[in-house]
Amino acid sequence: MKPTVILVGADKGGVGKTTVARAVADYLIGKNIALRAFDTESPRGTLKRFHGDITETVDIGSTADQMRILDTLNTAQVTVSLVDTRAGSLAQTLRVLRDIGFLDAVHEGQFNFILMHVLGASIASLEEIAETAPFVANGHYFLVKNYVNETTFFEWDPETYMSYFAKSRSADEISIPKLSEMAYEQVDIAGTPFSTFVANKTADGRPAAHSFVLRGYVRTWQRKIADEFDRIGLIELVTEPPNRS
Amino acid sequence: MEQSTKVYFCCSSNKRSGSTTTARLLIDYLLSRGRGAVGFDTDPHDPDFARRFPGAVKVVDTTKIHGQIDMFDRLLVHDETPKVVDVHHRCYDSYFATIGQIGFMEEAQRAMVQPVALFHVDAGPDSLNAANALAKRWPNLRLVVVRNKGAAPRGPDARDILDRFPHAERLLIGAVDWPTWKAFDAQDFSMPDVLKAPPANLSMGALISLRAWVTPIFRQFQLFEMGLSLENSQFL
Repeated sequence: MKPTVILVGADKGGVGKTTVARAVADYLIGKNIALRAFDTESPRGTLKRFHGDITETVDIGSTADQMRILDTLNTAQVTVSLVDTRAGSLAQTLRVLRDIGFLDAVHEGQFNFILMHVLGASIASLEEIAETAPFVANGHYFLVKNYVNETTFFEWDPETYMSYFAKSRSADEISIPKLSEMAYEQVDIAGTPFSTFVANKTADGRPAAHSFVLRGYVRTWQRKIADEFDRIGLIELVTEPPNRS
Repeated sequence: MEQSTKVYFCCSSNKRSGSTTTARLLIDYLLSRGRGAVGFDTDPHDPDFARRFPGAVKVVDTTKIHGQIDMFDRLLVHDETPKVVDVHHRCYDSYFATIGQIGFMEEAQRAMVQPVALFHVDAGPDSLNAANALAKRWPNLRLVVVRNKGAAPRGPDARDILDRFPHAERLLIGAVDWPTWKAFDAQDFSMPDVLKAPPANLSMGALISLRAWVTPIFRQFQLFEMGLSLENSQFL
């Protein structure tokens, strides 16, 4: 398989970026895709708390850590790398990837690049779409609408909505439904991947005593997200065979 | 084969169909047989069902997550104690929507819990639509069509109306005269206590009338339970 980098990022905090990264990790692991993850919320990352066995905490601004991620793409046994960017540093991370030649390598077909841009519910956030799109010209660009709280992403105002989403013709949209706050908090307390919570297990595999109702809500939420990932063909994207030279 | 734990949903998409009466009678039946029973009243505004069985019936607000957890987590415990839920008509749609969202039916099957919907009919088209939708949504759900003759449907078209409902088992709650109903509906009335040792202030006529009304109902409950047990029996 061609090595794939999935970057989950946002230029605003509090939009559920790490939740999306966790959902991606759960989905790929559930589909038996070998995955490694990099949490750039150095020194203490949230993604690492939930997927500690596959996650390293890195500083994307550090050359040494850039080498750890990108220099090993071709040599690592695991071909899918998930990078959870620090909140507010999506643009900076994309510039780093451009400056070190990773985006050129994507253009040359050496790697797959998937950007999941988690949007905030503000005009400023939507304006980032046009700024971000050029970086992903040779990759796969997904606009992620994470429906936390009662966010609508301006769907009630077609003119505003179309002025941003219609412009991003190269981008597809992914909708992440809202998850009950109590269910989310219980998973947070458990400190396990969503799938482990649904399976009623602790982090070390022992039986847990989680509420069936809350597990049911998380299971349904995961199914809806899986439907979205199936729709965009995420598995096909990450299992694309290498280019024949 | 081990017997499953039964969970009865006494429900109706419309009011005044007699679902709370059935819930009360079912708990009365179980208690009069010396068996435990656990109930849930989904009407937090006027919990008549819970008031009559303090200690056995809990009030839950199923529009709130806490209420859902209190109830559904308990319903899925396979402890052979029958559970009776009075599903208030106001929350009928949201109740079964929640059941779908949390995967209750699938988990019930895994947990050796058998849900039974005691669906109370009335003459309105939405009652028929609701019953059909329930049967279609969960084809494996045990559906019992309940007609309360004192509630609905009434009149000469009653049988025709009933015949349109999904092919399922039927339960009939007979009509009762006003004095008998008044005795049954008293706040401190307890059918098991009355059947065991009738109170002095209950007239012989009322007692006879109560027995005549409740005996065929309890017999139907008994036959229904026996049928379920035989279906789950290992040696048939």
